[in-house]
Amino acid sequence: MAEQTDKDWCFCDGNGGLERPRPTRRSVLKGGAVAAATAWAALGLKPSALAQVALRKDGEDGRRGDILVSIFLRGAADGLSMAVPFGDDDYYRARPTIGIAAPAKSATVGDGRDGKAVRLDDFFGLHPALAPLAPLYHDGTMAVVHAVGSGDQTRSHFEAMAAMERGLFTDADRESSGWLARHLLTAPPFGATPSPLRAVVFSNVLFDSLRGATDVSVLTSLADFKLNLPRPELAQSLAQLYGDGVAADAVTKAGHETLAVLETLKRLDPANYTPANGAEYPGSGLGGGLKQTACLIKAGVGMEVACLDRGGWDTHVGQGGATGWLASQLDDVAKSVAAFVRDLGPEGMEQVALLIQTEFGRRVRENSGLGTDHGRASCLFALGGGVNGGRVYGKWPGLKPEQLEAPGDLRVTTDYRDVLAEVVAKRLGNADHLREVFPRAQPRFLGMLRG
Amino acid sequence: MERRDCFRLLGAAGTAALLAGGCSPVQQRFATVRRTKPLPPLPKGDIAPVARLLNRAGFGPTAGDLAAIPSDAREAWLDRQLKAPAHDEDEAWQLRLRLRAVEANRHESAYELRDMKEDEVLEQLQKAALLRAAYSQWQLRERMVDFWNNHFNIYARKVLNTNATYARTHLTYFKPLDEAKVIRQHALGRFPDLLKASARSPAMLGYLDNNVNQKGVANENYARELMELHTLGVGGGYTQKDVQEVARCLTGWTVEDRPIRLGEADGAILRRRGAFRFDPKQHDDGEKVVLGTKIPAGGGEADGLRVLEILTAHPNCARFLSRKLVRYFRGDEDPAWVDRLAAIYLKTGGDIGAMLKPMLLAPDLVDAPPILKRPFDFLASAVRVTNADTDGGKGIQRYLKEMGQPLYEWPMPDGYPDTTAAWTGSLLARWNFAFALTGGSVGGTQFRLDALKREGQEAPDEAALVETVLARRADDVPEVRKALAAANGPEEQLALLLASPAFQWR
Repeated sequence: MAEQTDKDWCFCDGNGGLERPRPTRRSVLKGGAVAAATAWAALGLKPSALAQVALRKDGEDGRRGDILVSIFLRGAADGLSMAVPFGDDDYYRARPTIGIAAPAKSATVGDGRDGKAVRLDDFFGLHPALAPLAPLYHDGTMAVVHAVGSGDQTRSHFEAMAAMERGLFTDADRESSGWLARHLLTAPPFGATPSPLRAVVFSNVLFDSLRGATDVSVLTSLADFKLNLPRPELAQSLAQLYGDGVAADAVTKAGHETLAVLETLKRLDPANYTPANGAEYPGSGLGGGLKQTACLIKAGVGMEVACLDRGGWDTHVGQGGATGWLASQLDDVAKSVAAFVRDLGPEGMEQVALLIQTEFGRRVRENSGLGTDHGRASCLFALGGGVNGGRVYGKWPGLKPEQLEAPGDLRVTTDYRDVLAEVVAKRLGNADHLREVFPRAQPRFLGMLRG
Repeated sequence: MERRDCFRLLGAAGTAALLAGGCSPVQQRFATVRRTKPLPPLPKGDIAPVARLLNRAGFGPTAGDLAAIPSDAREAWLDRQLKAPAHDEDEAWQLRLRLRAVEANRHESAYELRDMKEDEVLEQLQKAALLRAAYSQWQLRERMVDFWNNHFNIYARKVLNTNATYARTHLTYFKPLDEAKVIRQHALGRFPDLLKASARSPAMLGYLDNNVNQKGVANENYARELMELHTLGVGGGYTQKDVQEVARCLTGWTVEDRPIRLGEADGAILRRRGAFRFDPKQHDDGEKVVLGTKIPAGGGEADGLRVLEILTAHPNCARFLSRKLVRYFRGDEDPAWVDRLAAIYLKTGGDIGAMLKPMLLAPDLVDAPPILKRPFDFLASAVRVTNADTDGGKGIQRYLKEMGQPLYEWPMPDGYPDTTAAWTGSLLARWNFAFALTGGSVGGTQFRLDALKREGQEAPDEAALVETVLARRADDVPEVRKALAAANGPEEQLALLLASPAFQWR
């Protein structure tokens, strides 16, 4: 490997980052309750329900880790356009038409309006459409991992997603259950009984990452999580059957809990939910899903995992550059995620670990249709209060022909499981069960998370 | 009903029966399925032992069962249950006709089924399972089918990992035969027979990759689970070396995936694709040592059979299986019962019925801890206790999925969990099912309140419903009756009872 491209920017010790005073759990909860109460007032409703929920979390059965928000970009998103290696001249040789221009030399960061990459460091920049995420990177709550991926050699979307959602490096056949399912099966739930909304998939179908978990709600909308009664008054009768949930058996407790969640959601009225801090979500599926995710996080209903996905990344033809198809897809991701972060605010993001992943990246060289074919490594974004952000993690393998993996793809230098395992261990409070969650893996933490 | 309507109702499968018997007898049978006679009152004396037995040995009582089975008839009931046949021939007409219409069960080979869509096969399999659990007179057999289907779990959506070059096949197509010839055939038989059938089941070979377990490139997946989950249990006294040796013994146990060809040099054969096949060319014929027993070189297919013998004769197999049965039927791991069942296993050579009988008839069964119904248990018991009429199709299957237990779709080899915590998250879907059933909005499922009235009643009163659904005397559950006070009519009362905490346990 040539010296100039053997750039290793992995700070594995996790020290020396942008350390900020970390709020105590209690103050976070109070802050959350206050923020929620504000949203409440905007709806013209009494904050009692939310206050109640927040108090419940403050008990000894409260949260044991971050809430994981997982966004999967299905169809192989082009990591070389998302986190542009503008410092690598071979990038421009391989992508004369669709390459993203380097940031202006004088500019400190840039805002993407010039159609140029938004500077992350001296080597990488974000696609201009991802500019809304740049402030998060620079305030230290977002990290990028580059040249990350699995060992899947088939370059089949299906095979690669199957392996990744099962927490495997390769050979999806070797495990049938998903990594998140195994996490939920081995981690104690946040509450005394698992919340009925412990894991939520905002989709029509269950994701493979959660296959094998019994407590998953697959919802196209929060409005789906409802009690269908011939008369609304019957909810009172049910509540009477399930009593006060104190000193009761597991079913009675769970029933009581379920009724409380239903009541909270009803009063929260997700259909008319107003985001805080002037956050504006795009009207896209991802935007809508993240909006409802934020709503659930604020409601404190015991959600531990929220899974969302978004297609539109299989850019074989007409990928576009600073503008065009891919740019419009990235624009939606950036605006949706930025709105989510703004809506939750710093206190809310303290309890969130948000990941943006894709199954593999794309061919380095642009093709005759000005698109890119299936490749190998891509990049991954991690956001949240527990992230040692403001850095690009990984080991850059270089883009010279001899540095690529045949037939011309960015090599995988970081096993994606290193990232997920660090999240599970440090942020989701399940360090004891990494072997079960990621069988046959020997994860090496990048030091990208606190905890 | 017109004769033509009968045909339409029954579909092609019922046609033969109709031609033989004419329309009217069939019609009559259909009419009697929905109970029109009022239910007799609950018998005097303690009803708990019968209710507990029917909930543990089967999928709960039907509306009339508690009155029909006196407490001192439990042994007679159980003895009859233990003699259940594997076939459906003596079931009620309605059930027989509906089961015959399940195309997936009429084929002898997975490859014959491949004209059907995968989802359709899965839907039919679930339909047959739901119909049998709800309506079969052989309740204990169906209980054991549920037990073994999880013990020998197969994830139907897995793609068969084959070396053949033609289209990949989902295991869905292999499961119907496994269900019929392995699980149902041996549900109440001898465990060694069941294990042997499972070890040669193409569905199992495909699920745990033994079909690609070959000489020199052993695949240990099946060998490991065979010991860990099927026979000895974790810590059952085997080592990694044993796993490797068992895998070697089972090399060449595979699924026939060569194209069908007639008239080969070594004799004209019609290969049955998708069937079990021992491939001597892929078998490692060297000497092996399994759990300290030497298996001499040159044994061929007999190596694998010898392994199964060694495992099923092992005291740890007796203990592992006994503990699991005690857990499944009693809801605890009572050491005295585990010991007793293990002793019966070793004495009878693994007679499953002989192990079950004393445990299910024991007076202390009523004192055993409650067991949370899994979604499949809940649905079947709700259909039974309300005498509802379901076709077992998509309409009711939707709720299985919503509650988190779509059958044949548990991805891991350990089967659906039996812990309480795994299933308390499904209450909302249970409640919605209760109100949908009584409101008549579950597709393909009818419910008639009439079927639940007692003698002398125009419609079932609250006390009668409480006693039928909860198998408790109405006076003994004042708190439930208080909660029913605001219900508007018997449908709502019934829905609340099905949704109540008490009905979630068995």
